[in-house]
Amino acid sequence: MTQSPPTQREITPADSLDCSGLLCPLPVYKTALALGNLQPGEVLELITTDPGALEDIPAMARQRGDTVLASEDRGSSQRFLIEKGTQT
Amino acid sequence: MTTTAIPGLRTDRAARRFDDIRELLPDVHNPTPLVRVRHVVPDAGLSLFLKLEWLNPFGSIKDRAAAAMLAGLEDRGELAGREVVEASSGNTAIALAALAALAGSRLTVTIPDGVPEEKKVLLRMLGAEVWETPDDLCPVDHPKDGAIALARSLAASAGGERFVATNQYENEDNVRAHYETTGPEIWRQTEGRVRYFLAGFGTCGTITGVGRYLKEQDSSIQIIGIEPQRGHRLPGLKSFQEAKQPTILDWDVVDEVIGVDDEAAYATTKRLFREEGLIVGPSTGAIVHAASLLGEEHSGIAVGVSPDGGNKYASYFAEILGDEGLPQI
Repeated sequence: MTQSPPTQREITPADSLDCSGLLCPLPVYKTALALGNLQPGEVLELITTDPGALEDIPAMARQRGDTVLASEDRGSSQRFLIEKGTQT
Repeated sequence: MTTTAIPGLRTDRAARRFDDIRELLPDVHNPTPLVRVRHVVPDAGLSLFLKLEWLNPFGSIKDRAAAAMLAGLEDRGELAGREVVEASSGNTAIALAALAALAGSRLTVTIPDGVPEEKKVLLRMLGAEVWETPDDLCPVDHPKDGAIALARSLAASAGGERFVATNQYENEDNVRAHYETTGPEIWRQTEGRVRYFLAGFGTCGTITGVGRYLKEQDSSIQIIGIEPQRGHRLPGLKSFQEAKQPTILDWDVVDEVIGVDDEAAYATTKRLFREEGLIVGPSTGAIVHAASLLGEEHSGIAVGVSPDGGNKYASYFAEILGDEGLPQI
């Protein structure tokens, strides 16, 4: 199921992180590190293969004050676009 | 272990000369000392001895578990070509990092938030990779043990080819280390007269292994576990109000649990420095405070564990001291 971005604007990720083959909470940990290297408003593209990420990544983003702009369940993998918040 | 001895200068324990640091690891023939606590817990029935585990070669009681767990991996052929991963508040990791390096491997450690900087730097000096981990890392399951969950996922991810986990919270080699060394040492050092044994709840390898050994010698020996408060600042100890109980904990050998808060633990630690000359870590303070409570109603010889020394907690102690000990102008 695809959640569309809230606007029509083109989203160009500032960075991309491939967590294929990694089990939670490892993708959560690595994503937090990767977001730490971005500026507020920049977007991280994240690829995971652990289905637990569909719950863990949005929960982590809420906790940190980041925004999941899109999450896509591709069956064997998941793709997220996460915008870094101003508080993190 | 293979070492090349210098002719004529082989290991000689009586002369305190060793070919390899690992030969200093303790056993019943090379025990860590028992030292009486004479002022903080004055003899009023209960006589407390502390077992000074910080005199182990890598600085803590965890030398025993680390050596036994690593030996277990090597014996089972699980270490070959792989790195070791462990969740640790520092002491297990420090011993594992040194021993893994000596065995030609390397350690990755997931370390909980709030562990003093001194320990993290020591680990990096030893060549370990340090992953500082918030306790609430898993936002959905939030088991409070983020470092343990992360170590497990590192070991299991991508087929698990790179890492092997020592998994001290579930590893029976951790218990065996204390059953085969710490327990017999205490029994022999007290000439079989120990009546109480006190240890903190952490991985629970110590309390289970020592408790099991001592109960086999005399089932009336009282085994007492020390539990910190929720949200405590006593590295190495676990509050089961917020952390999972390790699977290796055997409640059958535990007779009593005494809760100790941070304030009492740190106040007692300061007294141990000043009144006993014992430069200990804060978990020792917690254990000695529990012994002082016990001493109000009990008599006989008690042995408490002093898991580590105070040098690794200088930054914590600086906060507690404030401007105490500085000239007041």
